[in-house]
Amino acid sequence: MERREAYDETTLVVDPARLLEACRFLRDEEGFDLLSDITAVDYLGWGEKGVAGYFGTAAGRDLNAPGEQGASVHSQGFGRSPEPKPARFAINYHLLAVVPGAPRVRVQIWVEESRPVPSVIEIWPTADWHEREQFDLMGITFEGHPHLRRIIMEDDWEGHPLRKDYPLGGEPVRFSGDE
Amino acid sequence: MAVRKKQRLADYGLNSERVLWRGKGPGVFEQELAPLEDRLMLSTVDKAVAWAQGSSIWPDTFGLACCAIEMMSIVSSRYDIARFGAEVFRSSPRQADLLIVSGRVAHKMAAPLRQIYDQMLEPKWVIAMGACASSGGMFNNYTILQGVDKIVDVDSHIPGCPPRPEALVEGIVRLQEKIKAGVPPAYEIRGVAS
Amino acid sequence: MAVTERPRIYEGSRIPSPIPSMLVLPEELRGSDEILQVNFGPNHPSTHGVLRLVVDLSGERVVGLRAVIGYLHTGFEKNMEQKTWWKAITYAPRVDYVSFQNNELVFVLAVEKLLGIEVPPKATWMRTLLAELNRIHSHLVFLGTAALELGAISMFWYCFRERDQILDLFEMVTGSRMHTRYYQVGGLAEDIPKGFDPEARKFCEWMPKAIDEYETILSRNEIWLERTQGIGLLSADDAIALGQSGPVVRASGIDWDLRRDEGYLSYPEVDFDVPVYPNGDVYDRYKVRIDEMRQSTRIVEQCLDAMPEGPWIADDRKVVLPPRHELHTSMESLIHHFKIVTEGFRVPEGEVYVTVESPRGELGCYLVSDGGPRPWRVKFRAPSFVALEATATCMSDALIADFIAIVGSLDTVMGEVDR
Repeated sequence: MERREAYDETTLVVDPARLLEACRFLRDEEGFDLLSDITAVDYLGWGEKGVAGYFGTAAGRDLNAPGEQGASVHSQGFGRSPEPKPARFAINYHLLAVVPGAPRVRVQIWVEESRPVPSVIEIWPTADWHEREQFDLMGITFEGHPHLRRIIMEDDWEGHPLRKDYPLGGEPVRFSGDE
Repeated sequence: MAVRKKQRLADYGLNSERVLWRGKGPGVFEQELAPLEDRLMLSTVDKAVAWAQGSSIWPDTFGLACCAIEMMSIVSSRYDIARFGAEVFRSSPRQADLLIVSGRVAHKMAAPLRQIYDQMLEPKWVIAMGACASSGGMFNNYTILQGVDKIVDVDSHIPGCPPRPEALVEGIVRLQEKIKAGVPPAYEIRGVAS
Repeated sequence: MAVTERPRIYEGSRIPSPIPSMLVLPEELRGSDEILQVNFGPNHPSTHGVLRLVVDLSGERVVGLRAVIGYLHTGFEKNMEQKTWWKAITYAPRVDYVSFQNNELVFVLAVEKLLGIEVPPKATWMRTLLAELNRIHSHLVFLGTAALELGAISMFWYCFRERDQILDLFEMVTGSRMHTRYYQVGGLAEDIPKGFDPEARKFCEWMPKAIDEYETILSRNEIWLERTQGIGLLSADDAIALGQSGPVVRASGIDWDLRRDEGYLSYPEVDFDVPVYPNGDVYDRYKVRIDEMRQSTRIVEQCLDAMPEGPWIADDRKVVLPPRHELHTSMESLIHHFKIVTEGFRVPEGEVYVTVESPRGELGCYLVSDGGPRPWRVKFRAPSFVALEATATCMSDALIADFIAIVGSLDTVMGEVDR
């Protein structure tokens, strides 16, 4: 388990096998009783294209002292790839405690494709549709979910649209001058 | 318009009522009118029918997305559509003449849209309101139908994202002018998906 | 607020199990002749957009409920990954198309948080003002359509009269009635025109009288009270367990408002009350929204009084387009302009989750950036999505007529449910 702070937000990286334990602890002991959001991110192809050029930081770009944020570290404007991620999918659980000051925390787990994730529906019933949506759009199976079916796409849709290897689709635009 | 027998939906192989009810021929009104129109050279009665149809088009409540909010505002008192004859928005497609497709049509919604269109009785008109209904709009992707004229016949496209209520009113008024001029509805001109 | 302090509207929890968002027909009734399954299809007379509810009825009583969504899935998130940050802002307001400024706001705030850019105070105050006007707009649409469905048809015309006034104000400032695309990363797209202030003040003077009119029509109307009081109960604990926020949770007795409790934009500097009602039924949700409209008018007045002079967008040339007159004289400005327009500015690597209080609840935007000119992942946390999950809980022991009132009171917008 690891704890990261960035942009005033706390991210707790948890081992997937201990996810339920961690969530129960956060809900019961720390008081994070509102599950705001479950988001899965697909990091396929992360960092393949190097990032170069201007970095829009508020302080501007000082050639003598590289900035502290993000990709401009060590970069001074030259090409740099972001660091590779531990696994293909990251699942983020955004939690909120309903007390003044609104403390928030993000629980993050990393899974490879086709590895099932325990469902937190017992802890927060609102996870029902969030998990179904991530299953539908990203293909992450949640173990222990009583009704894991497609929710947004049609029931017989093939593929998981939000994955990086799924094409955007649509039609090529035809211009009248070309015909 | 009522006696034009040539282009029926049945000829295009569509599952509309007429195909399901094979014995249905011209109705009583049409049968009575046919000799009268022959004698009057078709013009006056046709024009009267067209004037009546055009002046009282009742839209169907088919609001999908953002354009639906602008469509609701033409019912409101400032842009009052009732003064143009669209007195009520009928919820049942059987009672509606005009289908204003307002909003983006996802592939999942395309089947219900076609069902609603099929349930409407002829003559019926379709307005594709907004960029998403006309052509897919800014959403050129796996899930949005790129233009509702792929599945229904559209009489009038209204650009905008969303079009102002006045633009929609203009679209409806121009459709009315088309009808009163005697232009047949789109399904008679174009066939299914052109 | 600790758990023990929350009001108890009913004992225990009414969340159906094992599936929280579905009322499953009990075993003994399955296949029975008494059960009628009705499909409230994607196209139906109520003005909610394309929501499909499959309802099992035993007489007039709802015994089974299942919501089918996805009829308006637009693939926003995938489309936004293909566009530069600037162009992606255009997609944002169409997610929740009734409170469009809030969607833009949350996306732009998230990008600014990643960039670490500081927004000038004029832009912050104007954003607050527009967000509050949008809240009034959204509640007017809710009120008009909810009343329309329950039979108070004339409310629709009353509400849309004020709504058109608000849209006139938006048009005056931004050029467009809906989907204004007025927020840029760093501030606003254009300066505020001079005629805005007197018109907005006229609106603020008129609005409380209009709200009084609505209350006269509905609040003590016997039919309205019969149809909305005691219907659709949702207790505070169930609401939190189901992830609710916004008016739904405030009507269940929880004093929670992100504008006051988390604080963003200029909300810490304005004075407003947060309406909280204890009964958790449809009537209380209606009352919460009416009171919120009054408070929003107060906030708009305070924003007009406090509006500072000064720049309307940040000065950072790496992110914000330079003013046009500079393009004639400064070579650097020209290069910046060119790079920003063609390639797009780059946002440092990172992830943020930003929330605002939209008229429906907690609207969140989770943003992942890889340091490049395009977003890596954008996710909008939609309050209506979560509100639909709560439908089954509110619907315990409801009649078919109540069901319409309940779905209306949850104020869902299908654009943000399906995204």
